[in-house]
This record gives sequence, C-alpha cells and structure tokens, in this order.
Amino acid sequence: MKFNEIIFQKINNMKQKVTLRKLLKYFIMTVSCMGLSVVFMSSSHREAPLIANDPVADNTDVYAFRSPDQPDKINIICNYIPFELPQGGPNYNTFGENVRYEVHIDNNVSTPGDDITYRFTFSRTNQDPTTFFNIRLGMRNLYTTYTCQRSTDGGNTFTTIVTNGVVPPPNIGPRSISSAVGLNVPDYNTLITNSIVTATTGEKVFCGPADDPFFVDLGGIFDLGDAPRQTMKSRDGLAKYNVHAICLQIDIATLQKNHKPVSQASTILDPDYVIGVWASASRPSTKTLNTTGGTFSESGNYIQVSRLGMPLTNEAVIPLGKKDQWNGTTPYQDLANISTFGNFFYNPELALYMDDSKFGGAVPAFKGLRIQSHSLQAFDFRNGGDGLYSLKGSPAVRGTALDEAVAGGLLLPGPGQPRSVDLWPIFHTGVPNLIPYQLATGKNGGPLTAGKPFINNFLPNGGDMLRLNMAVPPTPRNDPNFSSLGLIQAAVLGLTNPAYNTNSGLQFIPNMDGFPNGRRLEDDVTRIELQAVGGVVLAAIGLFYDDYNPTNFLQSPVTNQLINTIQYSTGVEKNDTTFKTAFPYVQTPWRGTDIKNQ
Amino acid sequence: MKRKIYAGLLMMLMAVNTFPSFASSHREAPLIADDPLADNTDVYAFRSPSDPNKVILIANYIPFQLPQGGPNYYSFGENIRYEIHVDNNTATPGDDITYRFTFRKVNEDPTTFFNIRLGKQNLKTTYTLERSVNGGASFITIVSNGVVPPPNIGPRSISSPVGLNVPDYNTLINNSISTASTGERVFCGTADDPFFVDLGGIFDLGDAPRTTGTQPADGLKTKNVSTIALEVDIATLSKNNTPVSAATSILDPNYVIGVWASASRQQIRTLSAGNQAYSGPWVQVSRLGMPLTNEAVIPIGKKDLWNSSTPYQDLANLSTFGTFFYKPELALYMDNTFFGSAVPALTPLRIQRNSLQSFGFGNDQNGLYPLKGTPAVAGTALDESQYGSLLLPAPNSPRSVDLWPIFHTGVPNARPYQLATGKNGNPLAAGKPFINNFLPNGGDMLRLNMAVPVTSRTDPKFSSEGLLQAAVLGLTDPTYNTTTALQFIPNMDGFPNGRRLEDDVTRIELQAVGGIVLAAIGLWYDDYVAGSPNPVTPKLLATLNYNTGINNNDTTFKTSFPFVQTPWPGTTDKAGQENNYVKPAILAPSSSGLGLAFPGVVGITYPNPAASVNTIKYRVLFDASDVSVIVFNSAGQRVRVLVSQTQAAGVYTVNWNTAGLQRGVYFIKIVSNAQEQTLKLVKE
Repeated sequence: MKFNEIIFQKINNMKQKVTLRKLLKYFIMTVSCMGLSVVFMSSSHREAPLIANDPVADNTDVYAFRSPDQPDKINIICNYIPFELPQGGPNYNTFGENVRYEVHIDNNVSTPGDDITYRFTFSRTNQDPTTFFNIRLGMRNLYTTYTCQRSTDGGNTFTTIVTNGVVPPPNIGPRSISSAVGLNVPDYNTLITNSIVTATTGEKVFCGPADDPFFVDLGGIFDLGDAPRQTMKSRDGLAKYNVHAICLQIDIATLQKNHKPVSQASTILDPDYVIGVWASASRPSTKTLNTTGGTFSESGNYIQVSRLGMPLTNEAVIPLGKKDQWNGTTPYQDLANISTFGNFFYNPELALYMDDSKFGGAVPAFKGLRIQSHSLQAFDFRNGGDGLYSLKGSPAVRGTALDEAVAGGLLLPGPGQPRSVDLWPIFHTGVPNLIPYQLATGKNGGPLTAGKPFINNFLPNGGDMLRLNMAVPPTPRNDPNFSSLGLIQAAVLGLTNPAYNTNSGLQFIPNMDGFPNGRRLEDDVTRIELQAVGGVVLAAIGLFYDDYNPTNFLQSPVTNQLINTIQYSTGVEKNDTTFKTAFPYVQTPWRGTDIKNQ
Repeated sequence: MKRKIYAGLLMMLMAVNTFPSFASSHREAPLIADDPLADNTDVYAFRSPSDPNKVILIANYIPFQLPQGGPNYYSFGENIRYEIHVDNNTATPGDDITYRFTFRKVNEDPTTFFNIRLGKQNLKTTYTLERSVNGGASFITIVSNGVVPPPNIGPRSISSPVGLNVPDYNTLINNSISTASTGERVFCGTADDPFFVDLGGIFDLGDAPRTTGTQPADGLKTKNVSTIALEVDIATLSKNNTPVSAATSILDPNYVIGVWASASRQQIRTLSAGNQAYSGPWVQVSRLGMPLTNEAVIPIGKKDLWNSSTPYQDLANLSTFGTFFYKPELALYMDNTFFGSAVPALTPLRIQRNSLQSFGFGNDQNGLYPLKGTPAVAGTALDESQYGSLLLPAPNSPRSVDLWPIFHTGVPNARPYQLATGKNGNPLAAGKPFINNFLPNGGDMLRLNMAVPVTSRTDPKFSSEGLLQAAVLGLTDPTYNTTTALQFIPNMDGFPNGRRLEDDVTRIELQAVGGIVLAAIGLWYDDYVAGSPNPVTPKLLATLNYNTGINNNDTTFKTSFPFVQTPWPGTTDKAGQENNYVKPAILAPSSSGLGLAFPGVVGITYPNPAASVNTIKYRVLFDASDVSVIVFNSAGQRVRVLVSQTQAAGVYTVNWNTAGLQRGVYFIKIVSNAQEQTLKLVKE
C-alpha cells in the first residue's frame, strides 16, 4: 500500500518520530470509535458569518449512500441555499452564476487531493425580460442551465460530461406550472423527471429545487441547547423550506479506487471500497460593481467560500472565531491545521454542556447525556480529562490502533485531549475495523480486545469528510429494523439482539449503511452526533458509563446512563415529508401556493 | 398657475394611490436577491400617532428572516452604507437631508458557536449614524456606538442567567433607542416584518385572491426584518425648518417631503481564504421609494438597472422606465383586450376603456391625450403651459396622467386632481381637495405632506385602504361630500400620502392600476353613462371591494416609537412544524457500589470475613496483561502469591484456602501491568 506523500510530510511536520513501517501501519489504522460523529445541530445552514451573507454559495448538507433501489450505485447529494421560502418570489431562489459548485471524492490515500471532482457551473437566462413574473406564457425568467465537468486527475484537467443541463423552474403554483398561461405541463414532477440527464461518463445527474431533507429544531437548539425543548413543543425549523440540490447517481465501479464493481468486494467491510466525499462552493476572488447600470464583473482565481463534509462540523464544533477560516480551507489541509482545529474535537464545546463539573447544570435539555468521568472506574472523557492517555505506550494497547507503533501518536496525542480517540477520528480518518473500534460484543469486558466488527470507513487522509464504505449493503427503507439512528442502531442491535450478539463474527447488521458510514437522507445526524458527544461511541466499544461497576459481575453494562443516552432525542426525529423511492430521492419542492403557516 | 419646473413638473394625480404590485420589495431584482444584507424591502413615512410634531421614517432591510435562523442570526452587514434620503425642496438638487448608517460586528466570545452565552454576545452589532444637510457633500456624526439589540433567540438566551439575563426582549429594544446629537430618536434592530402579502398566490401569475382552491397565506407571516427607524421633528424635515404649527393648511405645499432609502457597497470585493476585503468608491445596489415599483412595475430585464440609479436620475431615464408606468404590465391582466381572461383573480378589476364614453385607459389606448392642447384642459395641470408635456407626453401613454405622476412627482392640489365631489360631471372641473404631496422632482419617492393630521389608530374610520378610503369618504360620506371645502378626511395621512405601517399597499396599488384613481376624480367606469345620477356603478363597487385576501399584518404594531413590533423569537410556536415528542424520564444512574478501582483489572473477594476458604474474582480488561494477585498481612509482609502470569482479557476466579492464616486483617493486591487494586480481607 502506498501512501500519500503529503500526509507523510504532514506527519513529519508534526515531528512524529516514527519509522516508515510504523507510518504505514499508522495510516492503516488510525482511529475512531464506533461510529459516529460528533457535534451538531443544523447541519450547515448559515453556519459561518461570511457565508451566511452569501446564500447562493452556502452549502447546507452533503449525503452519500448506496441506492436502496440500485445497489450497484451510490448517490451523492449536495444541497445549497438554505431556508428557501417556497413563496419567495418574484425572483425565486436558484443556483448562482459565477459560482463553482463542486463535489469532491477521495478514494485513495496514496494520491494527493481529489481522485474525482465534479464541477457544476450555472447560467441564468431571461426568456421574457418584459414581465416581472418568473413564468408566463411558456417562457421562464432566471431560466437556469448548467454544465457539469469532471476531473479524475486531482483537478488538473476537466472534461465536460453534461452540457446544457436544465434546472427545473421554481414550483411557483398550479397556474405557473400546469395552466395554459404558464408552462402547461401536467405536474411539477414531470419537470423533475425531464431534467434528469445521463452524463457522457454514465452518471445520472439532477440539479434543482427540492424539499430540504434536513430536519432539526433550530429554534430550540440554538437557544442555548434547548433540544428537546423543556417548556415548549419541539419544532422542525426547516419544515416546508426548499434547498437547491445537486444529485449524482454513480456506479460503484466508477468511484472505487481500482474501478472494481461492488460484486468483487472481499467482505462487506472491504477497505478498498471506502470513499470520502465533501462539497464546496467557490467564487472568483474579485467582484467589481460597475458604477452605473446595475451590473458587475468577476475575475481572478476561484476562492473557496463554503465547505461541507461531515454534517454540523462548522455549525457546532468549530467556534465562531474560526468558522470563516474553516470554510476557506480544504480537508486536505486539516492535518496541517491540527493545531488550530484539533482541540475543537478533542475538547468539544458541546461536551461542556454534558458534564456536571462544567456547564451541565445550565443546559437541562441535555440532562440525559452525561459523559463518562470514570468509565470502568478509571477513564475520564470529560473536557480536560485524559481519556485513554494513561494507556499510552502501555502493554494494554499493544497491537491495537492506539499502539504507538500504529496510530498512538495521533489518537493519544497528549494528556487533556480526551476525545482524540472517538470524535476526532470519526471526523478525520474514518473508523477502521480494528481494536478497539469493534463492538463490545465478544470483548468479555475488555475494551481493548477484539469484538464484533461493524464499521470500516477508514480513509486516513486526516481531513473532515463524509466517509462511506460502499461494500456495506443498503438497508431497505421498509425493513422494520431500518432506523434514523444509523450506525448507532447497528451498534445497539449488535450489542443486544440475539441475532447478532451471540458471536463476534462479521455480519450485516441493519443500518451499517447509515451515518456516519456515509449519510442517508433519513439519518438523524443531530441526535446521533449529540449522543456521540455524550460518549455513546465509547460505551459501544466497552468504555461504559460511570454507573457501570466492572467489579459487579452481575451488572449489565446497559445501565441507566446508557439507556438515557440511547433514548436521548432532540424531539425532531424525521423529515417533515417523505423521500422519493428512486433517484433523485429528495422530495418534490414545496409549492409556493401551498404554504400556509411557515 | 405658474410654477418653476424643476426637474419636474407637476403632475398630478388622482385620488389616491399608487399602483402595481405586490411584495413591496423583497428579493425584487435578480442581483439584490443574492445579496440579502443590502436588500431594502420597504420604506415607510408617516406622522407619528403618539407625537404629532414628529414624523417617523422606517427603512427595512434583509427579507424573509426566519426567527429560528441561527446560529448566525441575521443582522445588518458591515461594509454597507444604509441610507435614508429626504428631499424637501425641488429647488435644491439631490438630497436635502441624508442619514447614513454604517454597522460593525464584534464577537465578544469567539470560543462558542452560540450567538449568546453567559452574558456575551457574538456578531454584536453597533452602528454610527451620520447626517448630511448639504446633498451629501459633508457628513457629521450624530450617533456613535449605537447598539443593535441581539437576535430574539429565545427565553434561555435572552432572559436566563446563562444568557443575557434581562427581564424581556422589549427591555433590549427600549435600551437601544438612542437620541442623536441633532435631536432625532433612532432605533436599529430586528423587528416583525410589517409588510403583508400573499406572495405565493400573487406571483403564481397574479392569483390573488386565490382562485385555484388553496387558501391565501401571508407569505411574510412570522418573518423578521432588520429595521432602521427614525423619529424626526417636522421642523427638522420641512424645507424652511418651520414647525407643523406654522402650516397654512393641512395641505400646505411647504410640508411635502420625498423619502427613499438605499444600500451601497464598495465597488471591489476581494476574497481570500476565509476573508474578504472591500475597496473603491461606493456603488448603490438597492433602492426603494414607492412600494413595489421594482417588484411589479419594472420588468425583470431592467430591475438591476433600476436598483443602481437614484430618483434624481429618473427623469433623465424616462425613455427607459417611463413606459412601464404609462402602460404597466399589470394593466394587461385587467383588460379583456389583453390577458384579462388569463388572470381570473383580477376579474373585479377592469380598466376603463370607454370612460364617459370618451376616454380609454387600456394599454393600447390614448387616455386623455385627445385633450392635449385643447381649451378643456386650460388652467389645469394638463395645460401645456403647466405640465401637459409630461402628463400628456404622447399618444398611447394612457397612464401618464395617473400612475406615472403618483410615483414620480406626487399629486398637487390642482385640477383635475381633486375628488369628483362638486365637479358636476366634469372631471376637469374643480372638486374637493384631498391630497397635496406634490414635490415635482420627477423621481420615484414616497411623498408625504407632513401637515396632514394623523388619523388615530383607534378611530373607527381608520382604514388600511389609506388615501383611497379618504377618497371614498369624500365622495360618499355626507360629512364630507356636501361641500368642496378642504376638510380633514380620515386616512388623508395614508398611502400614497406617505405610508403607514398598516396601509395595504398591495391592494391599493392593484386598485389603482385598475383605474380607481381615475374614477375618484370623475373618470368613471365604463358602465356609467355620462350624465346619469349615480356614478357608483357595479364596476366601481367591484373595484372598491377587490382585495388580495390578505389585508393586514400578522401581528399588531407598537403604539409608540419604533412602532414596528417586537421580532418573533426563534422559539415561537408560529415558526417551524410542531412535533409531538414525548420526553422519556431521565433515569437516575444505576446503583454501582464501589467507587475505587483501577483500570486493567478489577476484582472482588468473598466471603469477607473469611473462615477457611475465600474466592477472588477479577476482571482483566486488556489482553496480554501481566497479572499478579498477592496477599499481604497487616504488617505489609507478603503471605501468598496466588496469580503471576500473562492473561487475556476476561473474568477469572481464584479459590484459595485461608484456613492456615492467623486471624486479622489482610490485603489482596491485584496488579495488572503497572496498575493495581487492593482489597481488604478479614480472617475470622
């Protein structure tokens, strides 16, 4: 296995005295806990000061999941423009001109930067500039079309794979869409269907408005963490709003680093089928307003202004003072920037509110979440605690991912960085199928022993990305075990369901294809990430809650504190509408005339 | 009557209102729709109902703010000049008074992602207000370090000890009202958007009121805007700096002001990673005077151009923009010769095509142009020696006599712009005065005659129909329609004589496009036969009764400055979709016994006290642990070594014989790697 030279360099910069052999191992193994990610709330709608003022370029969410209806394909969905009011005319939201919307894919840590890049650029035309209506007599204003280009050489060269793709019009209302004085089409879905194109390289592509698939109680959670609301009903703050979605459906063989189809995967956790996905928006560096005429020009190099991989990183992990900087950098720079951003994962702000020695008492909504302060009577994962650092270099970690010879340098970087073993790697490397990152099932109480495998989305380039192992089968959406808790639910089943918890062999457990192994539209990432900050990932691998006494040989590790954590919910657990059962999966945009109470 | 024609002329007006339109100016033009911080949504100007010596000027920015739109809630932008412009004298070019607001944001605690925490506020916004009274040539600072209240996030952020710990949000509003060094009271902050309109219906090809079976909805319901509000002495605004008590009549022409607002950005924006910089001269990017001009009069191809120009350029640009007022697009939908049948919602509105069996105001007709230069218009505003060249510029400019002047000059108290009351059937005769907001500079502005008294908001005759309702009263109410004398008619202080927060400008303007202003001055609807006794025909009634289905704001207004209502809190039960989530009980921690132990290995011993046998059960947490279990006596002497080997993770049990031990206290040390646990055992 070859490794990325950039990574080597970064590591050297970090003055890690390791041999090449160790480095290799170390990348093979980095990190992570079971599953989840971290911190949270509203994905990334208006998440940083500068981009909040540039909605057209504001990337709100990224999804990557295996198609439930076409298991040899992966869907990647990137949403932009938050809080679109369906009735927001006369100039309804649409993609911006002079913005590069990009979807980035890494499938190989030995190649620097992107392995595949999709770049979308849009243009707007007024078919009838004499009216103030958006649609009239079959003509459309701000009629938006796009070009999709693809690079497979790290962005050096691009090939155009879709020309003149059509963005459906805003779903204004029945008169504009279906009447003879409007577009006179049978229904809006006809427009969606007609706008799906197949690229010259085989991908299916859709760009257009859609129901915002994200759901979260914005009003509650940003009122100092009041989710679920303590004295009011919780509310989905994104209900009935639209976003602009860029959707791709891609053969797994196109994404896989050696272009192998999924049928050739050695196991459902084959490490060769891991991809990292992130999206961005960039603008030319210089915008010049013309002093007359109401026009402007843009020139210069493109500067990245929005970035999104893992949900909610920049919403609720990165503090205000660093959010704009985060949006201006790429995941490939994260390792070099670890001194700037690392501590926000090692000692996340949200953890302060789940810890009675800090501000736990100030956020009653999080009362069910209490981070382990003496897990197994020993380990303190509260901010400022040492986590597993006391084990560094000890025989206990020998042969595990925490071994100095493996990834101990990154996973146990120092004292006082307790979440370096769970939150940091979940966001930055993915989780390998290695000790200790296996379920407690079969561990006999020893967290650093082999347990039941349940994830391998390890792509150790050090950058914040949404990582998906494409070999993991999709869970049918009508499976009774399908759960918006994603991989957390897979962990729960693996620990408690007799179909899975009686052996430590690799099995497909429902929802192993869920967040943070990729992200499905249904996944309740806010809840999952809050639970993860609350330590549920640590518990899943055997670092149980404080109320578990390892000397009480009769006590179940499923203690009240673990139950409280699993039961924790923000009060808003699903989208306000359904999803389509086929590409593009995102639901028909809300219609301007159908909105009454939002 | 001779006048100086400055840039303008006189124009005229009809009774009442202005016209086309819809959502005032929220996202009204393509470019500004992508720059919400600089997007001016509405301008209001009205005499204060709580202090009649003052006029209130309100300019709103940043449309469609969701109360719950965190974590970076909406606020005024840095690097933007927000300006309110006042013209009070056609003899002076450009602004007579300019108020310029600039904002700064500071993060008091950049270590959190919350906007407010522990008394600290992020994106805390303050402002400087400068004023120019010389056309913008020089400015003096009249408010320094003005405070913008924080977003109304919710009760925890505002009122709890972990937030700002203030009694309520209105305290923050009241504390942020400042008095300028020149006497104005000033408020800049978030507020309920006072505008109301069925956006969804009206932009679906004019479906207001709805005809497709869906219910009308205020598209701005429960949305906030960022408001700049000024309370200014009338004497500060009037051109001779005279107080309102010195007005010669309630229509004194010396008390007319024109108001408009703008936002400007510096010409060049330069992005770098995570940052941006601005440089160069300031360029206007948003403009608003009369509501809805750029929303529904100017077509999409010219909207950006409109936003970049000033009212003072409008006359020079007449060839570009004039026709949108002379022959407005909306009129096409109120005229069966054009697309009237295609917009069923507007069926009650049918423009006069044959008024008095003589005059047609359809977009293909000539309006009053046939009268140009005739004796009939001698001495009126339409006289060539007066404003005939502007009001009757050419054939096929039918609305040059009503819509264009309402927007561009205001309406003089001159023939034919008086109510039909007393005209005895001749629209060009003298009638009952009801408006004079004439400030003929030719530019699109909101014009207010400050001498017109305030209609009490509790007056039963107070109406959101504004000046249109004053016209109705003047034509039909015996209190007013039996004399042509100048009287105060309730709502003469309403739109388009200025604009009150309550005024339903969308309805008024649609009625105006439908020709109601023409009717009010005696150019009746087609179903009136000239000479008949009753001009209040079914078509006039249909026009008067027309409404969009959304006729008032979704909340009240304050009864004192700043009048705009408290912003919706992010936690309001009127935003977002309610979820019926039932919180599970939080369980107390499970009972766990021991509080001390060590990693690596943990164990227990039993029975304790022991007689002849004892069991030690211990758990090894990590594989390949070097484990030893050793028994010491109370003197610290080693008594037994029970285990000394490398063990895998798991649970182990050691049974050992204690019969030979002396009575007393023993210590069992369980060691795994470098870590140990000591248990106390009593031998009986």
